[in-house]
Amino acid sequence: MSLSPKVIVPDELALALDLLADDDESMCLSGGATLVAMLNANLVEPSSLIALKNISEMSGITMQSDGSIGIGAMTRHAMTASSALLIGSLGGVKDAASKIANPTVRNMGTMGGSIAFSDPAADYPPALVAAEAEIELQSKDGSRRIAAEDFFIDWYETVLEPGELVRAIHLPKPDENAAGHHEKFARVEGDFATASVNVVLAMEGDTCRSIRIAVGACGPVPVRNLEAEDVLIGSSLDEEKLIKAGSMLAQSCDPLDDVRGSADYRLGLVRQLLIRAVQQAKDKLAEGALA
Amino acid sequence: MSDSHAIALTINGEEREALVTGRDTLLTVLRDKLHLTGTKRGCNQGVCGACTVIIDGVTIRSCLSIAAVCDGSNITTVEGLAEGRELSSVQLAFSETGAVQCGFCTSGMMITVKALLETNPDPTIDDIRKGISGNLCRCSGYKKIIDATLVAARSVNAGEGS
Repeated sequence: MSLSPKVIVPDELALALDLLADDDESMCLSGGATLVAMLNANLVEPSSLIALKNISEMSGITMQSDGSIGIGAMTRHAMTASSALLIGSLGGVKDAASKIANPTVRNMGTMGGSIAFSDPAADYPPALVAAEAEIELQSKDGSRRIAAEDFFIDWYETVLEPGELVRAIHLPKPDENAAGHHEKFARVEGDFATASVNVVLAMEGDTCRSIRIAVGACGPVPVRNLEAEDVLIGSSLDEEKLIKAGSMLAQSCDPLDDVRGSADYRLGLVRQLLIRAVQQAKDKLAEGALA
Repeated sequence: MSDSHAIALTINGEEREALVTGRDTLLTVLRDKLHLTGTKRGCNQGVCGACTVIIDGVTIRSCLSIAAVCDGSNITTVEGLAEGRELSSVQLAFSETGAVQCGFCTSGMMITVKALLETNPDPTIDDIRKGISGNLCRCSGYKKIIDATLVAARSVNAGEGS
């Protein structure tokens, strides 16, 4: 039975950053959905837990003066899943949040905690890559921003340095003429994805004006394939092109065989999920046009 | 003992206190220190839902809540559903519909259903399925639980209490 960590609940971010800098065996506690499960399973032994829940500036979704959207690291999935600010091209982030686990876990889990863990099967990583998010990291020495696609670097690994925490996630000003969708396949409702495809799509009439695709749960980090996207841009997103793009996307993926599915099954899923994700995004655009 | 935290909780309207370590979860405190054993320890990983309670108005996994961080919270457990010997609508519905077999999931289910009906008083079957998707039941196949939720919704809407 491991020793118990000290638990500190600072009211100020500055104190939390000092504590984090002073003790490299300390860990930040956000929602606890992953960290406490790991503590319960004796998988981690932090010297102290720095609980962030009382740092009010770290929670909430706000529109900045330039129209970009800031999501505090402590924002719970339930809030993200119901945010009126995540429209158009940002809809895939909202969609991903709504598909995490179940309502109770969504009351607890946070975006910052989730992405700091970099679970390869998680829903936010591909959504944030497709939405061109930037992650703001902060330490007591200052802050920096990293593009989402550079933040996740390996299985359960990010660019976070000791003493750094995720402060906020920044999304560009939404393109209201685009739609985002998170197509997730899991064994049962609420499970982690066996594979997921997140798409941000803009159309010009019947032609694809732009598309960003990110695949989740098929490798250590979200997968993009720019050539696959190029095949679709300027096309009518017909079946032949989608099959070709899906094939190229699958080739960029490097999934494992695990309890949720075999590597082969995942590669097959990617092709299907791309078709479904594009159709869902098109439907959302059509609905938006009618609204 | 070093690293002990004294915490105060309001549980089902009553002020309670406990001395906890940094690792103690709210589940441990409820069951092992306060002897409120209605809340169950199923997986201790947040997946099964047997440990679900309501904290400050929302459903939470007590197995994933560090007790020291819950200091000052307002908590409802299954023991708080009845008013004295009068069962709540949810409890009556579960009992009369036959939605209880072994009973292990039942506490978490009823807490989840109570919270669901508070935010969505007239849920569809699909709403209920999604609402209870975080509560595993190995016995019942969920059908009677869904039926019980519809019965409870009807009775709450008919003004028969919560």
